[in-house]
Amino acid sequence: MSNSLHTSGDIAVSVQHLGLTYTTTIDRRPTLKSRVKTLGRGTKHTRTVRALDDVMLDVNYGSVLGVVGANGAGKSSLMRVISGILPPTQGRVEVFGKVSTLLALGVGFSPSLSGRANVHLGGLAAGMTRDEIADHFDEIADFADLGEAIDAPMRTYSSGMYARLAFSVAVTVRPDILIVDEALSTGDAKFKEKSLEKIKELRSDARALILVSHALGTIRDICNEVAWLDKGRLVQRGNPTDVVDAYSQFLQVGKSAAIDEDI
Amino acid sequence: MEPTTASEVYLPFRKGLPPLRGYWRTLWKRRAFIAEYSRSELREQHYDSVFGQIWLILNPLLLSAVYFILIVIIGGHSDKLRYGHLTACLFLFYLVSNSLSAGVKSVTAGQRLILNTAFPRIMLPISATVVAIFRFLPTLVIFAILRSILGLPISFQIFWAIPIVIITVLFALGLAISISCINVYFRDIANFLPYFTRTLLYLSPILWEASDIKPQLRTVELFNPVFSILDSWSRVVVHAQAPQLSSMLISLAWAISIFFIGTYFFLSREREFAVRV
Repeated sequence: MSNSLHTSGDIAVSVQHLGLTYTTTIDRRPTLKSRVKTLGRGTKHTRTVRALDDVMLDVNYGSVLGVVGANGAGKSSLMRVISGILPPTQGRVEVFGKVSTLLALGVGFSPSLSGRANVHLGGLAAGMTRDEIADHFDEIADFADLGEAIDAPMRTYSSGMYARLAFSVAVTVRPDILIVDEALSTGDAKFKEKSLEKIKELRSDARALILVSHALGTIRDICNEVAWLDKGRLVQRGNPTDVVDAYSQFLQVGKSAAIDEDI
Repeated sequence: MEPTTASEVYLPFRKGLPPLRGYWRTLWKRRAFIAEYSRSELREQHYDSVFGQIWLILNPLLLSAVYFILIVIIGGHSDKLRYGHLTACLFLFYLVSNSLSAGVKSVTAGQRLILNTAFPRIMLPISATVVAIFRFLPTLVIFAILRSILGLPISFQIFWAIPIVIITVLFALGLAISISCINVYFRDIANFLPYFTRTLLYLSPILWEASDIKPQLRTVELFNPVFSILDSWSRVVVHAQAPQLSSMLISLAWAISIFFIGTYFFLSREREFAVRV
């Protein structure tokens, strides 16, 4: 993937009046059978979710934006819109550069295939060429430090191993705009430290980083700016300490160890 | 106008199809994924090992032997032409049915990828059909050997097999695309599928020949999309005769309709797959 051609301060992502409303199923597994059985009873099978509402946000190169918010606040939806996975319902999103497209979490989509095959397939699906993947593969395997497990089917992986591989892919393919989702953070202490270092290293590299996390300590530590989302709306945005403090107050947990650690 | 040009701009979509030219370009760019994914799937099913390949060949042969015994017992014709017809048609039918059964869960199984990566979703059912094609190819070789053992007639008309296979692939692809999309909304379609393919098998000129059919039942021809394809296939590869033009046109019309209708639904729906899977 291209080395960043952007200079610090250039705009990387511009989110303007973004709204996202979608219809999803109520049943976890919608079936024809349940449809037929409830025919004529007026049972609702879908519900409309208003995931994002008039969100304004921009991210510059050379900065790290932290995104905090309770579960269901719309953090992941926002990341998916920026990655082009979900089209917006209202507003406009402009992306100046290559986004990591959360590619990393797509790794492992085929559990019966090996970690190696999954990394290749995930990369190809995201639009990388075979050569680009081959160039990065050793570095990925090295960073994930899975040893021989890289050639074992991914269904045999523990969640920590899974997260390590996903994180390695995300940081190694060097996108211009990197999105690190909280789901990446289930490694052990040693790996956590290693990944924090890696994120700090990328920060000094004139890339744009978006870090979605519940670990407020980490957010305060490495972000230049924090956005707080609640129920799809942008509540506050600004200096990490201010926003994190306000968010902690909101959560009524104050500053406690439980929310300070982790990525 | 923007001061600098954004590499991607995401705007609200209207209903209907995405811009097709751009879609095609991103799809073409990812053709390596389709190749790699289908290869991994085949390897996963052990078709890269000797025994896997033997099984790939043995399985349809055993199947045709079983059906042939059935025909003999029921008291139909049981000459070598009939055995050739049965085997050839069964192999082609399995191209369609494998494409359906691999295609049905292709989108829902790719959930993780769909949730986290932006890519043309149609790659997934296409890969399923590619797998079905790779499983079909060795059976063609088997049939070529079988037909020379049986001493079936030979002529240049056999080259009609090429357009017939192309039409069948288009048809199989259209079915895979349609069913993978339907399965996102109704996850139990996969459970109904074996009944559907079994019914289609019996209603198609495979265990019997198109000419055997009673005049009262001729309407089957009209409603069975694989009838004309199989009839043409049998004429060409078993009897080494030219297919009927009408059969070829009907097959083509079925294949094109299924392909375009399925693709239309898939493309106009795929943007919401990420919130549906």
